[in-house]
Amino acid sequence: MKAVTWFGTLVISEDGNAEKCCLVEKDPEMLAEHMLLAVGNEELPAHGLDLRELAIGCGFVELEEDYDVLLREVCIRAAKRQISMTDTDDKRIIQAVEAMDDIDKAANELSERLTEWYGIYFPELELTAEPMARFVARFGSRENVPEDHDMFVRASSSMGAELSLVDEDLLRNFAASLCGIYDARKRLERYIMNNMGAVAPNLTNIAGAPLGARLISLAGGLEKLAAFPSSTVQVIGASNALFKHLRSRAPSPKHGVIFNHPLIKGSPWWQRGKMARALASKISLAVRMDAYGGKLDPSIKEKLERKVESIRKAHPEPPKKQSTKVTQPGPGRAGGRPVKKRGGQKKGGMNKGSKNTVDRSGGRPA
Amino acid sequence: MSIEQLSDGIFEVVTDDRKILATHNLYPGHSVYGERLMDVDGVEYRQWDPHRSKLGAMVLKGFDIPIEYDSHVLYLGAASGTTVSHVSDILTDGLVYAVEFSPRTMRDLIKLCDQRPNIIPILADANKPRSYAHIVETVDVIFQDVAQPNQAEIAALNSKYFLEDNGHLMLSIKSRSIDTVASPKKIFKDEVKKLESDFGVEFEVLQRKELDPFHEDHLGLLARMFVEDEE
Repeated sequence: MKAVTWFGTLVISEDGNAEKCCLVEKDPEMLAEHMLLAVGNEELPAHGLDLRELAIGCGFVELEEDYDVLLREVCIRAAKRQISMTDTDDKRIIQAVEAMDDIDKAANELSERLTEWYGIYFPELELTAEPMARFVARFGSRENVPEDHDMFVRASSSMGAELSLVDEDLLRNFAASLCGIYDARKRLERYIMNNMGAVAPNLTNIAGAPLGARLISLAGGLEKLAAFPSSTVQVIGASNALFKHLRSRAPSPKHGVIFNHPLIKGSPWWQRGKMARALASKISLAVRMDAYGGKLDPSIKEKLERKVESIRKAHPEPPKKQSTKVTQPGPGRAGGRPVKKRGGQKKGGMNKGSKNTVDRSGGRPA
Repeated sequence: MSIEQLSDGIFEVVTDDRKILATHNLYPGHSVYGERLMDVDGVEYRQWDPHRSKLGAMVLKGFDIPIEYDSHVLYLGAASGTTVSHVSDILTDGLVYAVEFSPRTMRDLIKLCDQRPNIIPILADANKPRSYAHIVETVDVIFQDVAQPNQAEIAALNSKYFLEDNGHLMLSIKSRSIDTVASPKKIFKDEVKKLESDFGVEFEVLQRKELDPFHEDHLGLLARMFVEDEE
């Protein structure tokens, strides 16, 4: 039997000894390279071997300790190489999306602080968030507002307190940092806009760059997103609602983050569930093309548009509200009140075998 | 303070009012994840937090830990190396192969390996034991803590490849990874049954206990791989 091991290729006889061995040069760098290349090789051992014995048997190392020391060194080198190769385009997009979320949180908090703080000195200034930060960074004290500025009248008749030089300096500095954060956000946004087209052209074409980036980020990578069924894509970002649905009798969520797509947001409520399903299915197709090396295929978008048209045509009016049902006590259900039941066995173990956060059974037709 | 030994390399530091699980620090003066270091009669011990480690919880739940000073251990799902560091403490004359799939957590694990000579890091998918069959030798103990829906299958497959005859398998089963809504008791029953019969490897379950209050909805399992006589 021929077997590839980390230290060389061996031919092993029936009784488990090495008959022939073709050893790799005893250099950690070479061995690490060989170790990585061997993954996926047809001749990897089909069952575990006593590699240590074999290595000593064919004279690769003399002592057990040498084996340990060398193997450790080689494994660390190999793992370090693998780690340095994991920086892929979709990983960079994910970092950018998450950085943007962090920035939003931080900017919100800081701008609230600025509103409170600067309000002491110029309460009539009715700016918030970014315009406010820019204003404070530029002028500082309201006495510095020039005559031709919109705020001049308010500034000159303000009930605000006097602002000392030290405090003014502090506030301007604070506001300037906040402006820097807003600038960083814009740069990130531009980065996502410019790069999504290259990372996932079809996804960007269907969902748009910001939403596409968010889907990749929530899934944890382009390939992971491609592996999701489209019913999962439909409810990504609605995991709380989904689990509530699975555990109790709460209604299933119709859409997760894809709600932000104009197709769903811009449609009347009775069409949204149908739109969400159509959009999710096309997103799935698009992502799969992107993940497995496809080029931009405009036909996906055309098909989506046709589907959207047919939904709009088929359901132009809101459905009539059904008259309140007379409750008929069914099995296991008393008086029509939803019975909470942990476990949801009635659903017949829908969740079997699915990954932890999202569930393939989520997208029940709305 | 005094010391009680629970099993090879695993101790309890007894203070006036409580007992603290600990291992003998292989790399003195350094704490791995912010745990407390304790000096007892000139020997340094590292506190082992059972809330952060399934293996630690299993020790306190009364499992007979099969890991000895000179064992060779295959550790599946090493993560950042919180538990691996304690296994490394125990194995003064042994070796642990630490398999982890996520490059992010592998970064932390490699930092740990740089300090400790008895950890061998492997960045690979525990679902595919063949992808590291050219690295890992036959081992005495397999410890598995992976949060995957096919935990039993992974354990059986790896045992088939790497566990020596009559070697021990220690398994932590997380019911939430298998089915988020079904009852944990039922899942545990199913998984144990699967492990015992579904994959062509026979196990004799020696001990099984839930790991609460340290870990919710987790089952700890100690099994011995059963090798039938060929005659």
